[in-house]
Amino acid sequence: MRGLFKWSSKWWPGVIPLVIFWAIAAWTSTEPLEADLAQRSAAALKDTVLNKTRISVAGRDVTLAADAFSEDGRQSAVASVETVPGVRLVNDETRLVPEAKPFVWSAERDVVRVTLSGSSPLPATKSRLTEAARANLGGVEVVDRMDLSRGAPPRFDNAALLLLDQIGKLKEGKITLSDTQVSLSGMARELGGREAIAAALKNLPEGFSVAANEVKAPPYIFQAYKDPVALTLTLTGNVPDNNAHAALGASAGRRFFSEKVVDNLKASIGAPSGFAAAVVPALGALSRLSTGTLVVSDREVKLSGDALYEAAASQIRAGLGKDFPQGWQFKPEISVKPPAAPVDATVCQQLFTDLLGKARIRFEPGKADIVADSAGLLDRLIETALRCPTANIEIAGHTDTDGDDAANQALSEKRAQAVADYLVKAGLPASRFSAVGYGSTQPIAGNDTDQGKAQNRRIDFVVK
Amino acid sequence: MGYLTTFYWGWLLGSVLLGFAMGWISVVQHGDGVPRKWRWWLAALVAALVAAAVARVVPGRFGYWLDLGLIMFGLYLCGCAVGSWLRDWVVSRTAPPA
Repeated sequence: MRGLFKWSSKWWPGVIPLVIFWAIAAWTSTEPLEADLAQRSAAALKDTVLNKTRISVAGRDVTLAADAFSEDGRQSAVASVETVPGVRLVNDETRLVPEAKPFVWSAERDVVRVTLSGSSPLPATKSRLTEAARANLGGVEVVDRMDLSRGAPPRFDNAALLLLDQIGKLKEGKITLSDTQVSLSGMARELGGREAIAAALKNLPEGFSVAANEVKAPPYIFQAYKDPVALTLTLTGNVPDNNAHAALGASAGRRFFSEKVVDNLKASIGAPSGFAAAVVPALGALSRLSTGTLVVSDREVKLSGDALYEAAASQIRAGLGKDFPQGWQFKPEISVKPPAAPVDATVCQQLFTDLLGKARIRFEPGKADIVADSAGLLDRLIETALRCPTANIEIAGHTDTDGDDAANQALSEKRAQAVADYLVKAGLPASRFSAVGYGSTQPIAGNDTDQGKAQNRRIDFVVK
Repeated sequence: MGYLTTFYWGWLLGSVLLGFAMGWISVVQHGDGVPRKWRWWLAALVAALVAAAVARVVPGRFGYWLDLGLIMFGLYLCGCAVGSWLRDWVVSRTAPPA
């Protein structure tokens, strides 16, 4: 041992090459060592959920900067790097992501894109929501403006995914989740969409509730266009159900006797209350026009077109709104068709016969009250009468053989008089008309069938 | 330390061999050694460096270079000790008995 101590005094010359060795080793090894430690540290953090992770290595000291989502996660991340072989010190520059209070997340849809914004609890949740939005809204651009924050309520992911499903049902609008409160606004894409969203919101995870649902349904549209050239009535838009559809179709068939009804209606839920009660009389008013368009949008009825004569235009303008259920609005834009060229009495008779061959003036059963469906036909008869102002016209009432003759005679007279009164009320001079009842004495068909009887119950216009 | 050994065993082996060679020579070398008084100062310096390394007070790359230097120096000393001892053993065996 004493020898070793003695010899060691002579070991110093070797220190000179050793220092050279050391310098070369330090020069060549530092950067590869740092790179290796950075790689191993990053690998050690692979399973730890962090955001904005930055690792820098100086010598064997690792500086770890990252945003962690919990205190446990933060400590575990630092501990993971500390256990990497070769790491001497860890400079802990980690921090917790900010806590959002309230925790607000939102999805907003406009015409071309869906923007996700607000807070998301974890990067995995953020990407999951973005992917879900892309999958739900095929073809629509999805913009991710979500930040990462702590403080999400439990089951946030499930709630947000369910709400993303609903954004697909909106044409435009916004869904906001503030802590556990859901607010919705905007316009549903389709009729029934609002109801579908309300139903889906019942499946929100436990603890979540709807604070405000202001999703509006798209306007409930019904349109009818009367084309005098093609002689068609085109119905488009929505009706509440198949019963209303059938009723509207039948009503249109009765009132538009010269036109072919093209029915493109479809049954959709979401009709405003009183839909049929407003649309049926509105169709009646359209039937009185020479050409016209009826647009029903929610509770607003717009009727535009040309009436056949001035009195009809005034009646439609003033009368239609009165028949509507409460809350409905009527916006008439009625003008008057220019008068048709005068014709002589023979042509007038032909025109009357043609019109009355296509449809009959209808009365309440057993009474002399003209039913509203006949207004369109009467307007055309009046228009024709205006074209031959010098002709005197006999309005002839006829019945079938049911009931006794005296009653039929009286009924036919009353009905003929009711029609004459209607014409006079429309502005024609009373002196031109004579109302005559013939009872059942002049049948034009057999009275042994219902069809024949129906043909015999009629009003004829005879130019004298 | 274990990581450094596996990472740069070449340099460390070099230090040991250098020490072994120096130790081998030192047994038969004539000349002055390090004066006794210096030895204490050098020992104190090495102890202070070791303490600094253990306490990890030197940051960053300088800390790494200090660790590397001390390990190489330690292995050098080990090499010296083994070299000197072996050379002394060889010399004493081949020398004629007094």
